[in-house]
Parts: sequence; structure tokens; C-alpha cells
Amino acid sequence: MERKKTEKMSFQAIWQKYGTFGILILLLAILAIANPENFFMPSTVTQILAQSSVNILIAMGEFFAILIAGIDLSVGSVVALTGMVTAKLMTYGLPVALCMILGLLLGAFLGLLNGLLVNGTGLHPFIITLGTQAIFRGITLIISNSSAVFGFPASFTAMLSKNFGIVPVVALIAIVTALILSFLTKKTKLGRNIYALGGNREAAWYSGINIKLHTAIVFVISGLCAGLAGIVLLGRVGSAEPAAATGFETYAIAAAIIGGTSFFGGKGKIFGVVMGGLIIGVINFGMNILALSSTLQQVVMGALIIGSVALDRFVAEKR
Amino acid sequence: MQALVEMIDVVKKFPGVTALRDISFQVLPGEVHVLLGENGAGKSTLMKILSGVYAPTSGRILLEGKSYARLTPADAKKHGISVIYQELSVIDALSIAENLFVGHLPMKRYGAFQVVDRRQMEERAAELLQKVGLKRSPQTPVEALSISEKQQVEIAKALASDSRVLIMDEPTTSLTQEEVKHLFRVIRALKAEGKGIVFISHKLEELLEIGDRVTVLKDGGYVGTRNIKDVTADDLVTMMVGREVKKNYQNETPLDRKRAEVLFEVQHITRADNKVRDVSFQLRRGEILGFAGLVGSGRSELMNSIFGAEPRTGGRVFFKGKEIHTKNPYRAIQSGLGMVTENRRKTGFFGNFSIKENISILPFVKNSSLGGVGGLLDLKFEKACAERQKQDLHIKCASVEQNITELSGGNQQKVILSKWCAANSEILIFDEPTKGIDVGSKGEIYALIRRLSNEGKGVLVVSSELPELLAVCDTIAVFREGEIVKTFPIEEASEEKIIAVSTADTAKAQ
Repeated sequence: MERKKTEKMSFQAIWQKYGTFGILILLLAILAIANPENFFMPSTVTQILAQSSVNILIAMGEFFAILIAGIDLSVGSVVALTGMVTAKLMTYGLPVALCMILGLLLGAFLGLLNGLLVNGTGLHPFIITLGTQAIFRGITLIISNSSAVFGFPASFTAMLSKNFGIVPVVALIAIVTALILSFLTKKTKLGRNIYALGGNREAAWYSGINIKLHTAIVFVISGLCAGLAGIVLLGRVGSAEPAAATGFETYAIAAAIIGGTSFFGGKGKIFGVVMGGLIIGVINFGMNILALSSTLQQVVMGALIIGSVALDRFVAEKR
Repeated sequence: MQALVEMIDVVKKFPGVTALRDISFQVLPGEVHVLLGENGAGKSTLMKILSGVYAPTSGRILLEGKSYARLTPADAKKHGISVIYQELSVIDALSIAENLFVGHLPMKRYGAFQVVDRRQMEERAAELLQKVGLKRSPQTPVEALSISEKQQVEIAKALASDSRVLIMDEPTTSLTQEEVKHLFRVIRALKAEGKGIVFISHKLEELLEIGDRVTVLKDGGYVGTRNIKDVTADDLVTMMVGREVKKNYQNETPLDRKRAEVLFEVQHITRADNKVRDVSFQLRRGEILGFAGLVGSGRSELMNSIFGAEPRTGGRVFFKGKEIHTKNPYRAIQSGLGMVTENRRKTGFFGNFSIKENISILPFVKNSSLGGVGGLLDLKFEKACAERQKQDLHIKCASVEQNITELSGGNQQKVILSKWCAANSEILIFDEPTKGIDVGSKGEIYALIRRLSNEGKGVLVVSSELPELLAVCDTIAVFREGEIVKTFPIEEASEEKIIAVSTADTAKAQ
């Protein structure tokens, strides 16, 4: 009896740790069987990594917003606006490095704006970021005159399209960001306080945690990640589109949730979010090599998001 | 005369506690039956059984000659039992008339449809409002009403569903004296119609005025039923308190405390919501100061304002003679304060954290830079600190890595207490430290509180259980309506005196 209980516990612990990893392997296996000649290509890894990186970057920021039992719906618009502003600055002839730094600062500033609005009004982040999503997108359209911006230094696009062996530069950026954020969540007081705030807001207040300060920091992190994603996307696409990254918040939220982040706050890991982002990347890649029409891809993607989260919960509770 | 309600030998056991032992209770037509007892005596449990919320463990309930082993809410409703709770259950967004008939709106046919018959509803509502003496149009939205008017709507609502027994749970707590008089007129009118009223109140003067009979409960047991005209307020206090065999946790030499230095002092604490009015007190090193008073008298609000968790409009706080600015909990914690809050689940622990993480959060926050944000986690310190607290406070757990939700209430409370110990807090505030904790763990918590004081810390304890305050405190301050009305050194304190001071009518006390 006792023994059985501990076995059950350990299965759940293993599933919690490696469950999303298992789903990822499962998806890859299905693809390998369904279309072996297109799957077993050296470029497969590169393509999946490159396609997932932007989403993983956004999702890691989104993760923090969800961790405090909130949400950030504005990330897609932040990606577009920072990309657009960075592109504009480069076409004015500013040095590439300076443009990238200003782009990141803009992302952080937009996040700060979200945080200040949440703190100032006391409204749920859902409402605030639903509003700023529209505002940021609108500003993108205004400053771009609703048309794409391109023609920036080749050094910039070349840098972000480069591959080291089979690993694209953008994946390295995502990996380094993941390591920094993982360190933040595991080893810093800031990270611990954010988990505390997400787990029990009132207890956090009584334990001396400054709720408004931490809320603002969380949205700044989310904005920074989206800003970085905006720059990365710009380099890979080669032009700044005013409608870029529309709907990306959906994929970011999906990646965080698939990766085991609790919608109620206080639970989740950066590693899980990276896995979640890769799962979505694999699904996307798979649909391409299976030559599904882009309209059908939307339907399949939605169904697979629901399916993978449901499977995760089902297995975790059933055993 | 046949009783409207007869409860015979009712027993209610919860896991680990017996909430009611062999209680018999009866309500006759046209009678106001007062139910009296301290907080936790079992009054609300008994009424929840009568209204079908809880099933009794054993015993019988007779309603209109029918015998029940347990009631469902539907049974209670069918036999005309209504409860008017302290926190009123009217719906603000609806009109008075809609509130009265919600769930059984009068209908009429309109072509193929059944629609609400508004005219009939408002006519019947007007009749009921006249009965309870509420001079308002039935169309008035309830949000426009005062608390006492809402209560009248609540009573009218009970009458609208043909209730024969009305249970009123502390109906006068938020009423002015004028409104209480009006309520009593309504109650007398209901009596005259043959309704039975169960009246729960702590205010002795009031219940002596309105009651016909009184039943006293103590610690889940039945003390007795008397005719009101045969008893005095003193008799009732004696019945409520009874004889106590209690263990004493006081220091053998309480006099030492009087010579100790003043460790902590608050002056003129006042809040905008008027729940705390100009409160000042001193706390000496090693002293345990208890705060007695009725629920809602402002004690928790005072503590929250001292700790900076809720705003105050005035007042100063001193620690070791120096003024400290406790404008938020972070500043209070930095200055050496700690607070074990009333509601563990809501404000005490982090359900997503292990025992270890629940303890270390405080030393981490207290010793951080940049206002609580900066710094790295020292995971070795975390583990060692948790292990030490586990041993020190005898926290019963398999490992400090366990999630805190797997522990019993008493052990959760010890974890919460240990986080303040780990942060070396010198002034500890306890708000209802043993709420919802089993008897065995209570003793352990008392011993821990006493140990803190022996280590030279200052302790404030808010409790609604008088035996608890009498067992651990050196001094007891009695709180009433936002003010300290009297302070007893423990040698002079008794349950009788404290109840008399905390329940005294405002007018009479002045």
C-alpha cells in the first residue's frame, strides 16, 4: 500500500519533469514515420530551431506574466512596434548596434507602460494588455504609414541569418536568454518573489514583498523579451511589416501553458516553456513538410495545442 | 402547544473535533428564543444543522410532527425555516420586489409565454414592506438602501416565502440604537403572528429586552435553557463562562515584566474607516499583551495598520524608543516586526511552495537589497535554516522539501511562525493564532508564544477565545468599537470582567 503510493508519486514527479519532453519526442517520431525522406535532412534541426526561436523568446516573457496569475496580450504588438522602430532607425543611418539597443529599450519601456497601467488602475492585466495590444499596433501603423520598411545594412540581416553548423544564431540568442532567465527564476530573490506573488498575492504582501514593484518588473521582462524577438524577427525576415507578429501572443501563451505553467500563477519553469515552444515549432514544421494548406494548418495547430495540454493533464491525473 | 422546531440530542462531529454534544433545542410559536455562547460555542453549527447546511452525526429534528435524521436545505425551506445572516444576502442590482420573490416570481401568461407578473409582484411586495415597516417603494433598487433597510428586506423576504421560523444571526451588530428599536418592533409584530424567532446575539442588554427564553451553549455542550424573566445578565455570563480547568502558560514571575524596558509603543493610531480610533499602548520586553473584544471591534484592523498592511491616517510607532515608519509590511519587517495573520490559507502561506521555501522567504526578503528585489538566493542557508526551524518548533513533516499544503493546520501554523523566527523578528503580532487548530497543537502554539517572550521578544495576541488570552497573556486590553476601553493585568483579569466590559452598551458605559 505504502509502496504503491510512493511509486505513484514518483511517476507523477517524472511526468511533471519530462512529460513535455516526451510529447516533443512523440511528435518528432510521428513526423519521422509520416515523411521520412523530408524529415531525415540535415536542415531539419536548423529549420525547427530557427522557426521556434522567435516564439520561444516571446513565450519566456509571457511566462512571467502568467506566473503572477496575469497575462500579456500585447506581446505580438510589442514585437511589431520594436521591429518597426529599429528598422526606421537603421534606415536613418544610425549604427546597427545602437539601433538594437534602442529597440530593446523600447520593448522594456512598452512593458513598463503595461506594468504601470496595471498598478495604477488595479485592472486585470488581461484588460490592460488587450488595450495596449491595439494601441501599440496602431502606433506601428501610424509611424510606418501602413507600409513595410526595408533596406537596412546587410551586416544586420547577415548576422541574424547565420548558422553555426546546424545551430542558427537566433537559436543561440534564445538559448542564452533562456539560461539567464532560468538563473533568474532559480537563483535570485527577484525570481523567488515573483513565484511567491503568483502563489499567494496577499501572503506575499504580508511577507514584505512589494507587489507593484514586482508586477512592473514582470511586465518589463515580458516587454524586453518581446522587443528582442522583434529585432530577431526583423533580421530574419529582412523587412519590418506593420502587421508582423499578429496573433503571436496566442502561440506564446500556448508555449507557456504546454510547458506546464499554471494559469493560476506561481508554478512553471523556463525549461518547460522552451519545450512548449519547440513543440509548437515541430508542429509547424511538420505541417509544412506534410504540405498541409496554410488554412488547414490553423485548425490543426489549434487542435494540437488543446490536445497536448489535455494529454499532459490527463496522464498526470490518471496515474 | 406544539413546538415549531424541536431538536433532540443533536451531535455533530467534524474530523478531530466534536462541535456539538447532545444539544436539545426547541422553538415555540410566538416566542423569541435566544441562543447564547462565546465564539466557537457551537451556535452557528447548530443553526446550520437546522437550515440543512450540515448533517448531524446523530440526533433527531422534529418539524410539524415529522421526524428527520437530517435536513436538506429544501426540507428546511419546505417547513418554513429562514436564516437572516449577518452578511446580508440581498442582491444589490435588483429592486426590493425582485429580491423578495427571487426564485418564486409571480408569473402570468402572455400569449404563448409565461412572463413575470410585475403588478402582482409589486402589490404583494408593498404588503410585505408594510409588515416590516419599511417605507420604500417596491421598485427601489436595493443598492440605494441602508444596512438596516436591507435587513428589513431580508426579513420581508423570509415572510414572502411563508417562513414560520426566522433565525437571526447577530442582527444588531451594524445597527444604530434607533434602528435596533425599530427591529425589535418588527420582531414583536412577528411574534404576535405566531412566528418563532431564534435570536443570536452577544449583547446581553438587548437579549434580556427582546428574548422570552434563552439557551446557553459552551464549547459545543448544552449548559441550560432558562426563562429570560428569571435570569440576570450576571447569571448569563456565569452560564457562558462556566467553570474552567485550564492549563496556565504564564510566566512564574509575571512581575518581572513590569520593570522591563518599554520595547514597543504605539501612539494615537487612527484609521479613515473609523475602525480604529486613537489607540495608544506600550509593550515591555518579554511582555505578552492580549487584545480581547467582540469580532468586528477593530482589533485585526489595528494590527494590520501597525504592521503597515492596511493604511492608517494617524499615529506613530516606536521601537526601542525610536520612531519607526511602518508604511508597508516591508518597512515593518525591516524594523523588526512580524505578523502571523488570522487566515493561514489567504494571507499566511504559499501553497505553491515547499516548507523550506515558505520559511526562507522572510529572511531572504528582509536581508535583500533594492527594497526587497536585489540579491541571490543562498540555497545552503535556506536548507539549514529550514532544518533548524523544523527541530526548534517541532514541525512534524517527512522532509522540509514537502509542499506545505500536505501538513496539518497546526503544523502549517508552526511553519508560518518559524518564518518570523528565521527573520529574527523582535515584535510578533498574532491574530487568532489557534483558529481552526486542534486542541493538542493549540497547547504547543501557546508554549511557543511563551517561549518567544522568555527570549525577550514582545508579543501582541488578538484572540476571540478568552481562555486562550487568559492562559498566555501578561496583560489584556479590552477592545470595543475601535478603542481600548480597559486594560487588565493578568492577576485582575477574568472572563466575567472581560465579557462585561466588551459587551457593555455604549450608552451605559459612558
